[in-house]
Amino acid sequence: MKKTAVIIVNVFIMIAMLTFVVLYSSSESRRTTQRQTEHFENTTITMEHVTENYLEGEQRICDVWARYINSKDMTIEEAASFIQISHVLPNASAHIVYLDTLSGLSTRARHNAPDDYSVSYGRMDLLNDVSWINEIGVSINISRAYTNPVNGEQSIAFCNYVTLHDPETGNPREALMLRVLPLSELEQKWVFPQEEFENAELSLIDANGDYIIKGPSFKNSSFFEFYRSYNTANSASAQELFHQITSQTGSFTMMNSRGEESILAYTPVAATEGWTLLSLMPAKDLSVKTENWLLIGFVSAGLLILFVFDLAVMLYFNKKLQMAATEAAAASRAKTEFLSTMSHDIRTPMNAIIGLTLLAEKNLDDKESVGEFLRKITMASNHLLTLINDILDISKVESGKLNLSPLTFSIVETVENLVNLSQPMIKEKNIGFNFRVSQMDIEYLYADQLRLNQICINILSNAIKYTEPGGHVSVDMREEKSEKPGCVRLTYRVSDTGIGMSPEFMAQMYQPFSRQTDSRVNSIQGTGLGLAITKQMVDLMGGTIDCQSELGKGTTFTVILDLPVADRQREDMMLDPMDVLIVDDDEVLLETAADTLASLGVTADRAGSGPEALGMIRRRHEMGKDYSVVILDWKMPDADGLETIRRIRTEADSNTPILLISAYDWSDIEDMAKEAGANGFVSKPLFRSSLYDKINALLGTEAKSVEPENDYSDLQGMSILIAEDNDINWEIISAMLGMFGITAERAENGRLCVEKMTQAKKGSYALIFMDIQMPEMNGLEATRAIRALDNPWASSIPIIAMTADAFSENITECLNAGMNGHIAKPIDIKLVVKEIRRIKEEGRS
Amino acid sequence: MKKLLCIILLICMLGLLTACGSKQQEETAGFKPALDTNTSCKITVVGSYDNFEALEAEFDRFNKFYPKAQLRYVKLDDYNNVLGTALVGNDKPNIFFSYTWMIGDEQYQPVADQMEILSDAALKLDLSCIRPGLLKKDAEGRVLLVPVFSRTYGMLVNNDLFQKEGLSVPTTWTELMAVCEAFRSKGYTSPMMGYSLKSSSCLMNTVAYPLFLATLAQNTEALALANQLDPAAGQYMRPALETVERLIQNGCVDLSACDEIGDNYTKVILRFFEGDVPMMICAGDTVSGTRKRESQSEAFTKSPFKYTFSPIPLTEDGGYFIDSPSVQFSINKSCDDLEMTNEFMRFLITNEELNEMASVKRLVTPTTDLSFDSVYAPFGQVPSERTLSPEVLGITDPLTVQIRIASFQVGKGEITVDEAVTKYGSFQ
Repeated sequence: MKKTAVIIVNVFIMIAMLTFVVLYSSSESRRTTQRQTEHFENTTITMEHVTENYLEGEQRICDVWARYINSKDMTIEEAASFIQISHVLPNASAHIVYLDTLSGLSTRARHNAPDDYSVSYGRMDLLNDVSWINEIGVSINISRAYTNPVNGEQSIAFCNYVTLHDPETGNPREALMLRVLPLSELEQKWVFPQEEFENAELSLIDANGDYIIKGPSFKNSSFFEFYRSYNTANSASAQELFHQITSQTGSFTMMNSRGEESILAYTPVAATEGWTLLSLMPAKDLSVKTENWLLIGFVSAGLLILFVFDLAVMLYFNKKLQMAATEAAAASRAKTEFLSTMSHDIRTPMNAIIGLTLLAEKNLDDKESVGEFLRKITMASNHLLTLINDILDISKVESGKLNLSPLTFSIVETVENLVNLSQPMIKEKNIGFNFRVSQMDIEYLYADQLRLNQICINILSNAIKYTEPGGHVSVDMREEKSEKPGCVRLTYRVSDTGIGMSPEFMAQMYQPFSRQTDSRVNSIQGTGLGLAITKQMVDLMGGTIDCQSELGKGTTFTVILDLPVADRQREDMMLDPMDVLIVDDDEVLLETAADTLASLGVTADRAGSGPEALGMIRRRHEMGKDYSVVILDWKMPDADGLETIRRIRTEADSNTPILLISAYDWSDIEDMAKEAGANGFVSKPLFRSSLYDKINALLGTEAKSVEPENDYSDLQGMSILIAEDNDINWEIISAMLGMFGITAERAENGRLCVEKMTQAKKGSYALIFMDIQMPEMNGLEATRAIRALDNPWASSIPIIAMTADAFSENITECLNAGMNGHIAKPIDIKLVVKEIRRIKEEGRS
Repeated sequence: MKKLLCIILLICMLGLLTACGSKQQEETAGFKPALDTNTSCKITVVGSYDNFEALEAEFDRFNKFYPKAQLRYVKLDDYNNVLGTALVGNDKPNIFFSYTWMIGDEQYQPVADQMEILSDAALKLDLSCIRPGLLKKDAEGRVLLVPVFSRTYGMLVNNDLFQKEGLSVPTTWTELMAVCEAFRSKGYTSPMMGYSLKSSSCLMNTVAYPLFLATLAQNTEALALANQLDPAAGQYMRPALETVERLIQNGCVDLSACDEIGDNYTKVILRFFEGDVPMMICAGDTVSGTRKRESQSEAFTKSPFKYTFSPIPLTEDGGYFIDSPSVQFSINKSCDDLEMTNEFMRFLITNEELNEMASVKRLVTPTTDLSFDSVYAPFGQVPSERTLSPEVLGITDPLTVQIRIASFQVGKGEITVDEAVTKYGSFQ
């Protein structure tokens, strides 16, 4: 439904609701008003009864007086005197006037003449026609309101004929007795009893509509004239109405003199001839307004606010939905692009693997070609593995499931690992490489080593990857004091002289599948996920990553991480006081190495070149103060390390231990170095612990040579239990281990593995490689079961996870289950050997 | 477009909401209450009128300022005789009808004694809105009564009939004669009509009285004689009586037709509303009944016409505007709620309220502005030298009786003009 239609429907509903409320209230109001009007009519009828009773009561008094006067043959004075005695009401009076003269006596004197009791009705028309006065007891003979001629007050009179004795003639004389009551007094009593009708006014009219008693709101001298003056009615309908008023009981609406709608209730006064009691009341006083405008106003305002709120919310959600739809479309597009890129990036190495495998099969006899194909297959496989790992990582990052698994690790090992990993590429590309560390006093940190490695390797491998041969890559790592308590600030800066990045690319370089392209490096292989993962991991570790780059000039990445310091640190490393000569053309390295050596308690002299060093050694030798150790860089401009060693050994000192520094794998030069007279090797960067270990080893076992890398004799004859359900995997691992003389025994699942361990004799197996996902019993459960065995040997046997579950949480899970290590599939045999040796070493210690 | 629709719908909603509430504040310009508007009081106005709807309408208007004030009009029976007693009685009226002749009359001294001095500056009555000729001051220069209506004499003119017959309303005696002749020639047997059954308010007096006053106004000695009912003053009636005679003799007035009009008020009006009477001679009091009777006249309801009340052009210079108070109010200084009574009078004695009341009652307003009612507008054009104020001249009631009866009898042909002149002072 369109937004406009929704708004219209909302407004329509609101208006409909309000209309219903108003109409219902109005209807209720009308009904209430109707009931009130009926109540008003009934009250008017009640008032008529009261009035009738009152009039009858007053008339009865008058009748009693008249009968008494008539029975006593009184003179006018006697009659007046009698009434004076009988009268109890203070404001009431009585007039007795002769019918022929309409003059006589009042029971009360005039205000301005206390002795004057005379009264005359001769000049007013009240008694010109007395036909309305009936005989005693026949009816209520009440006059209209008139002016009392004695005191000028508006009054009414109850009348009766009396026959008086005329003392002058001695004959009876007809007279009228008027019991006169002030209208004001009557009006005070003649009010509606109910408070709700306090504004109602009463009037009494005769058959002609003339007021006998007139309420303030009744205008004119005739009600009928009053009605005609303020209400539109034709003559006939008015006459009909007047007839109705004087003959029936009822009510109708009319306008009063102020133009206000009023209710007139009317009822004939039964005891009189043609009199009608009228009650007039403003209609607004009768109409009880059940419409609560405040309530309606609040409801309206509430509905309006609700409407506006709903509208706003609807618009907000619409906007959000639009954004979500846009994002979903973008995500879908991204997913498509991602899959497309994935497809491309996976197919490329797969193509190489399949193609090269095919070629190898076809050329099985050509050993050299097969070797080359296998080397390339390995490269493609490694690339594919990296790609899969990266994809899984980025997938985890984007789904928010990438968790850190912190553990205590050695930063020294991390750096060594980093250097070792980067060496082959550096060597291959023939680029300059420099790795400097400074102030690396704290070796053990508590962080996710795997992720930290990933960050460092990703940045460094990118630098190497994008640096052309002859270029230079330098790495600086330092530890500083962190603002976070218990942490150390690790700064990792990698600078290269590579192709650099354009600002446009830098703006989106952390997006997945972003690759800087350049004609010079178009052959560069990469997933385009490395930086995206790196950024996410740095963010996850609460660090910062900064990039300075200029197209064609190079790039510098700086990662700053605050990493917690591990509880475990190496004990104080201090060497015996000695003099050491450090030789390198790198001033910075000299500086940092000298500081590091000083922190070990050693006095370090520095030489910037081979000849300088040679001179210094010669002088010391001549003085009989040979240096305890000479630490010498392999690559120096004037005379390299090997040349310098040869000259030292031949020209100066043949006994001083010499450590050869190399940023590279020294296996290539190992033989030449030993031949030249080197006693040991130390890798750049020169960590405090490395120097401590190397110098100690050198001075302690001077004659010990470096252990050959390709000597696997220590592994010969080992027996390893492998829990692996997959036949191919079993075949691969057993074959690989067999290459090193290791015997492997298989358990097809966890349960069998546990059984074998239960039945195995002590020392049957050196360790167990445990797959995780297996039928019947998985690796974790099997490990827990083994750890629970009663046999101390069996329960403490080293167990290494060998699984395709390669995430850090999987590793943590394995360790928590009681395993001693983790090797991810696909397996790297070097890592397997390294792990076996580590276990073996730990077992020995 | 959608936004516009939303805004319109919102405005509609707000409009509906606001329509549910507020009530228009009544405009109350002009009179500014001087007392607490919540004051409760009872004010009674007494008079001799059976009805006084115009005054009752003023009560309602006053209630807009003082809603708790209860005001009523009461007719006193035997007004003139009872008034004195009522003013000091238990139920003292606050305001009462008063007449100029009460001042100085020993019989009405108790009444005069109760009159509050309305010219007292403390009362802040705007007496300047009253035409000066209507304000009667006593020997001490005090104003004790203030007119609320004035009375005059003239003729109701059926303007549409004049227009229909192609005639102009006459402004001089000659034109009047010519117009009457023209109407007669067109079949109107009595171009001028009026009440003629009795002397009270008869057409003869309405013609003669202004002329007699005009004669006396020019001769103070004659005025004194006339007030003394000296027969010698009879000669000053002659011009007036001769004019009455000529009107009848010239056929302007057909008395036989006039005699068919049963009373000097309603019947006169209803006869005029028949629509065939070009000019109906009457007093202003009669004109006051025209508005209400428009609806009561079937002929007028069927064929309404425009009419005005004009001076009768009795001379070549035109007619006279006899400007005399009709109803005057005095305040009973002994009444209850005197302060509020004065406030009501301050409210009433203004151009706006007096004109409003005159308009309702259709009487001549006592204010200086006569133009508000088109019926009386012609009197507003009478020059001041032809405006005569009996109160200012000092005309007494007996004098008016003489001219009324003399003119009636002459008009009826019961006596000659000469006889009437000689009988001045003896008419009863």
